Amino acid sequence: MNETMTDMDTERQTMLADMAAGVFAGIGWQAEFDRDWPRMAELGFSGLLLSEDEGGFGGSWSDLLVVARLAGEHALALPVLESAVASRLVAGLEFEGVGTLAPSSDGELSGDTWSGTLSAVPWGRHAGFVIAGEEGGAVAIDTSDAQITERTGLSGEPRDTLALQNARAVRVDGDPLALGAAIRAMQIAGALGKALAISANYVSERQQFGRPLAKFQAVQQSLAQMAMESAAADCAAFELARALDRDDASFETAAAKTRAGMAASTGAALAHQVHGAIGFTREYALHHLTRRMLAWRSEFGGEAYWSERLGRTIVSAGADRLWSDLVARTDP
Amino acid sequence: MQTFTIKPYAMPDSAPALREKVRALVAEHEHRFEPARRANCWVTPDPEFSRALGQAGLLGMGWSKEYGGHEMSALERYVVLEELLAAAAPVGAHWIADRQTAPLLLRYGTEEQRRRWVPGIAAGEVYACIGLSEPGAGSDLASVRSNARRDGDGWVLNGQKVWTTGAHISHIMIGLFRSEAGSERQAGLSQFLIPLDTPGVTVKPIIDLTGSHDFNEVWFDDVRLPADALVGTEGEGWKQATAELSLERSGPERYLTSQILLTEFVRRLEGGADAGQLRLVGRLVSELSALRQMSMAVAARLAGGEDPALEAVMVKDLGNSFEQAIPQAIAQAIELDLSADDALELLVAYSMQVAPSFSLRGGTREIVRGIVARGLGLR
Repeated sequence: MNETMTDMDTERQTMLADMAAGVFAGIGWQAEFDRDWPRMAELGFSGLLLSEDEGGFGGSWSDLLVVARLAGEHALALPVLESAVASRLVAGLEFEGVGTLAPSSDGELSGDTWSGTLSAVPWGRHAGFVIAGEEGGAVAIDTSDAQITERTGLSGEPRDTLALQNARAVRVDGDPLALGAAIRAMQIAGALGKALAISANYVSERQQFGRPLAKFQAVQQSLAQMAMESAAADCAAFELARALDRDDASFETAAAKTRAGMAASTGAALAHQVHGAIGFTREYALHHLTRRMLAWRSEFGGEAYWSERLGRTIVSAGADRLWSDLVARTDP
Repeated sequence: MQTFTIKPYAMPDSAPALREKVRALVAEHEHRFEPARRANCWVTPDPEFSRALGQAGLLGMGWSKEYGGHEMSALERYVVLEELLAAAAPVGAHWIADRQTAPLLLRYGTEEQRRRWVPGIAAGEVYACIGLSEPGAGSDLASVRSNARRDGDGWVLNGQKVWTTGAHISHIMIGLFRSEAGSERQAGLSQFLIPLDTPGVTVKPIIDLTGSHDFNEVWFDDVRLPADALVGTEGEGWKQATAELSLERSGPERYLTSQILLTEFVRRLEGGADAGQLRLVGRLVSELSALRQMSMAVAARLAGGEDPALEAVMVKDLGNSFEQAIPQAIAQAIELDLSADDALELLVAYSMQVAPSFSLRGGTREIVRGIVARGLGLR
């Protein structure tokens, strides 16, 4: 038997969840980086995936999933997850400040310097270093001297362009695109679960035709469909975290990002439908979740990218290996 | 608000060996399987294959050896089921007996009922059907009117069941009958074990739109049964029958019925595929993978003695939608000549016709989503 959660894992995750939920709930989408980041740093979220010897929390990817779901649930507008992943990739190296991940880059590594452009970098304007893809792996780039063009994503969060000339750079292991996709899939699962809860609550309170919307079968069917999409995203994210803890998670990353993207699309639409006009207003909380889900769906590769990549792997392996390769992912 | 609870599971160490065993057995019998019907394999009977599974120790896997079982874990059984389905093996003859009937007898039956029927089920020789629906009781199952009347020591059954899958090849039925005259709805119902060769039982075929004979009408005309035909407790039939539903609804048959279609689609693409086709493969496998995680989470909870009824219906509905979408998506992605007799064309043509039944059998989509909504606290 393998990968069974121990009581210690459960205990650690409960503790982590309690801490994260309390802090994230108070900040959420109203986060201001300068005001709120020091608190995150103090609580040590960036060191979540670092070993205790490296000054971290010694957490697993399954622990990160707990935090990522909560970050999604609370629409937390801070690079807690990006920095945890980036910090892990530069463990033992000399990089300062907040780390983040670049979904795409166009540049060149020459010896120990990197020149080029990093695009759509989450919180790039605040970053001390960025992990970017590089042939045969990744590169950690010191971005303290980057020329920054500030941009904002669909979610309203910073997604900046960073231009660099001869910035200090070191090769590292890891694929920032895949790891970014992994955390986005986990965040979608959290946000969708919360959107479901808000929607179920709303239809139970809102009255029309003399009864709560929840009593209409058409509304019940929509909520049920949303619950199933939420469950599928959750299960995909859960398996992804387990795979990351095992070793290679290329299959699970592609599958989870694709499935979570589909769930985000269907789930966000249903959440708005059952909310009626109120869900379309700036003041109502729903859009903080739905706009993020839809943004995360496309970031670090959307369904088109990941499904094509997965499809190519499967078709190359051939029909006779489709099933056996799939089950080999979870067999001992 | 109740939602899907994830239970971590660990696949058993024996999984790879069990898979090899199933694959070898399928390879041995495959030449006999009817190509198109493989797209609906768990309602397609093949008694010879069922007996072979029984001989190989692949039925009754979780049951006590005393009753012909093999005392293996629920996840070991799961591995065997998903291998059979992924290989599109015709497992219809024994499927219901192995999934529901024997577990029901082991849980509620008398010692004599267990000894009489369970070993035959484990051997792949005794088949069973479930008598629930009636002409006036479909989704509204509590409208059951077929009745059982006490007569001396025994019972006399009258009435009619309909849409009874496999009654024509089954030896026994577990039927839900109104055993208390004048009772209403869920009250006063009992389950009976009815050998289908009992005088007064008539099985009439219902031919489906493909021309296949899976369904039947079963008529009961003064069918006399001994006292021990009652299964479990008199008047508790509703509770007993609905308790089986998590077993019925969450299994891998709810999302793997069309797996062979996906396999054959990939085979067609081996010679070359465009981006859209590759994306479709990736998307379908992503959905498949998530469903498998959901279904295994349910299996793990069932194994732990829980009744994850809500999770089970979620697997069913999402799985059914997935299976139904596959032939449509393939037809959109490549040009098909549905009069051709290549494997993919036969499978697509057949599964497009039978796909509507996926979200009807075992509880309609509307009923199933209503159960999810109840879990969400909306009803």
